[in-house]
Amino acid sequence: MVTTTLPAQKEKAPPSTWKNWIGVIPFFIFALLFLFLPSIRLFVGSFTDAGGNFTFANILELFSQRVIMDAFKISIQLSALTAVVGGIFGFLLAYSVTVGGLPKPMRSGLITFSGVASNFAGVPLAFAFTATLGRTGIITAVLKNVFNMNIYDQGFNLYSFIGLSLTYMYFQFPLMVLIMAPALDGLKKEWKEAAQNLGASNAQYWLKVALPVLLPSILGSMILLFGNAFGAYATAYALTGGALPIVTILIGAQIRGDVLHNPGLGFAMAMGMVFIMAVSLGGYSWLQSRTERWLK
Amino acid sequence: MTWLSKIRKVPFWSWFWFLLGVLYFVLPLYADFEFSLKMERGRLSFKAYEMAFQDPEFLRTFSYSIMLAILTILVSIALVVPTAYWIRLKLPQARRIVEFITLMPFVVPAIILVFGLIRIYSSPLEIPFTSIILIQPLTNFKIGTNILIIGGYTVLGLPYMYRSVDTGMRTVDVRTLTEAAQSMGANWGTIIVKIILPNVRTALLSGALLTFAIVVGEVVLASFLGIPAFGPYLFLLGQHRAYEPTALAFTAFLLTWAAMGIIQLVTGGQGQAAGAH
Amino acid sequence: MAYLELNNISKVFGKTTAVEDFNLQVEKGELVSFLGPSGCGKTTTLRMVAGFEIPTGGQITIDRNDVTNKSPNQRDVGMIFQSYALFPNLTVAGNVGFGLKIAKKPAEEIKKRVAEMLDLIHMPEYGNRYPYQLSGGQQQRVALARALALSPDVLLLDEPLSALDAKIRVSLRAEIRSIQQELGITAIYVTHDQEEALSISDRIVVMYNGHIEQIGSPFQVYNFPETAFVASFIGTLNAFNADIIDPKTNSIQVGNVQLITEESLQDRKVGDKLMIAIRPERLNFSSEQKKANLINCQIENITFLGSIVRIEVKTGETHFFMDTFNNPFLELPKIGETVEITCSRQAVIILNH
Repeated sequence: MVTTTLPAQKEKAPPSTWKNWIGVIPFFIFALLFLFLPSIRLFVGSFTDAGGNFTFANILELFSQRVIMDAFKISIQLSALTAVVGGIFGFLLAYSVTVGGLPKPMRSGLITFSGVASNFAGVPLAFAFTATLGRTGIITAVLKNVFNMNIYDQGFNLYSFIGLSLTYMYFQFPLMVLIMAPALDGLKKEWKEAAQNLGASNAQYWLKVALPVLLPSILGSMILLFGNAFGAYATAYALTGGALPIVTILIGAQIRGDVLHNPGLGFAMAMGMVFIMAVSLGGYSWLQSRTERWLK
Repeated sequence: MTWLSKIRKVPFWSWFWFLLGVLYFVLPLYADFEFSLKMERGRLSFKAYEMAFQDPEFLRTFSYSIMLAILTILVSIALVVPTAYWIRLKLPQARRIVEFITLMPFVVPAIILVFGLIRIYSSPLEIPFTSIILIQPLTNFKIGTNILIIGGYTVLGLPYMYRSVDTGMRTVDVRTLTEAAQSMGANWGTIIVKIILPNVRTALLSGALLTFAIVVGEVVLASFLGIPAFGPYLFLLGQHRAYEPTALAFTAFLLTWAAMGIIQLVTGGQGQAAGAH
Repeated sequence: MAYLELNNISKVFGKTTAVEDFNLQVEKGELVSFLGPSGCGKTTTLRMVAGFEIPTGGQITIDRNDVTNKSPNQRDVGMIFQSYALFPNLTVAGNVGFGLKIAKKPAEEIKKRVAEMLDLIHMPEYGNRYPYQLSGGQQQRVALARALALSPDVLLLDEPLSALDAKIRVSLRAEIRSIQQELGITAIYVTHDQEEALSISDRIVVMYNGHIEQIGSPFQVYNFPETAFVASFIGTLNAFNADIIDPKTNSIQVGNVQLITEESLQDRKVGDKLMIAIRPERLNFSSEQKKANLINCQIENITFLGSIVRIEVKTGETHFFMDTFNNPFLELPKIGETVEITCSRQAVIILNH
């Protein structure tokens, strides 16, 4: 007797039995030990009072303590300033080597350098800026000797809000360049030609088509830059020695010596920061997905 | 078109912003370099570099950091490669969760991470609601602290390592490669060692270099956990000396540039942004 | 003067000459195709009419105005791109009304015109959709509406159907043609697909290597190709080298076959070399009908193409194709059989003049 058999069907993803999850267990255990447990500890701690009981008091106190509110205010201002200014400058730079038409070698040079600069934060960056704009820095000297301008007499101080902002820019605008260069590449040449064909000038094309298309990407990147600055610690500490009371510095002080005299409050502050970072990551992700939909 | 006529076609503003950017990039580096040459009064020399590299503390901390970096890279690879591979092959459902986890280090930056690590591991780790101790307070032991920092560094480098390896695996389509190898009778060991690893070499190199850059320059985890690494050493040096720190800073820059340059070369594409902030 | 004139147009990029010696007069309401392989210069020429390239030499006039050096946003031409190029941030209505908005027309007028255009392309309900929600064919129709909204003097289409599926291509090209005829708009259509060009054009400009090979109606270009390239590019063709046997009787030798041509060979000599071509559909089995030329050959292969059956035959060392209509009741010869096939004198086309 002859029997015929159909060829075996190609399997789709295997059914999700528990066995299939074995391979990712080490990863999850690692994440648990070194990411989730510490985070949960902070989270739980922020709702615990001195006696070990559940409370909202810590969270509420975040808003009533002058020191903490000031810290968040300065951090937000610093992050927003460097995100916006760094974002704009980074965008213009990315523009110049993509749509702006500078030769190819300059583009790859800029991209490489942006990769380097965005990693160059921390202690070495602080030293470099001290050598540039510090009291005996090279620019300070040039301005004094050549232009007769003593910026320190005029109130400028590298170890201040404005000095820190200038330093943060060094890793902010390269990050913007790295994100925006590919996004600008995504602008199709035909869009500009179609706009011209329909009577639009270059400015009108940018205003009505190119910038609106790029806007989610630009905004998303600026939000990312905001989070990037908000979470920075080493650069600020190395440059100002903790004099500028931003949130990360305050948390650092809290870790070392409970300066707030309330561990729960310290945890709450950390959670506040995590909340802000989570919101900015969420904003960035959402805007990224909008961009991808259009540039399909 | 000749080079010259191409240049003339480029609008003024492109040049303007580009040169402004170059200026902003180069000036601090130049200032740092120039300052670092001025250790000897009246003449430019590499004395600062000499002094810096000859400092026994420098050698001790720098080699310690390098060792930590290597260990972190090994742990990362051992963790990420099998996981990424497993997900591609058997468990696409886990992809979202894992990717979410790799985004966490952005939401939990170094200062917060170290806060949590210290608080949780400075007392014994118990199973909740019982008195059963799982792990002794790690911060009490030197090896414990080292475990903590390597774990912490792995977390910090996770987004880059995972993304790099995952992209690499997607590009070479590990699933098809594995099926081809299996149909020719290879066992799992052979497949991983002879087929998968060689093909993701570039991705591994890229991820490893980034991790290296992050670890060697890292300050936050190292100083709060009391580890004798290069970052805290550099910071302390800056408090006491004038010229050697700038010399080391410039060297750090050159090293970062070398690492990024290599990554650019092997991946031939976009730069990668990490951050030891 | 014709409505659209290209006089002595040439375009040079560095060391390469992309287009040379291009002369064309297009009447109002005509649809003229530029047909040729990649790199023949057809898109470059179109882009010169649009204003995206400036000719190195020559003149372009539209409705008696010299537009040769005018920038693209000052010309009254509408362009359709291969990749549709719809603005992703605007709705369908926003896209279609874009040109009118730039021209600062009042809102009421724009709304009316957009509705008109959407009716024209049979998509009246789609005003609020975004391009990413549309299929390729729909996007191209919106692109058409967008270009036509400004009532341009000339419509330029750059391989508009190349990115679409075969079925959509056929229906959409018919729709484009009918809209073009309905509006009476002058149009230039660039394509590498000869079936497309043949089916919708009033005239075809066949291009090769930056030059015009032939200009003519589809009928002319297909049946009376003037150069070897045109003959081989359009339709399938049997092309052969031939020697002249006797100029007075118009007889030539192809391989071991003697053929008679219709065209006079009087002013040539015995032994002259020629290139000739015969369209496959002009060959028949002599059992059906005997014509002036008779060829004995062997069946090599039979391919069933649906409505046509393509038979490959061999005589001596010469191979050629014969197309015959599918007929369920006709018994086809077997492979290896010997048959006699025939073709008229007029079917033998001389290629080099």
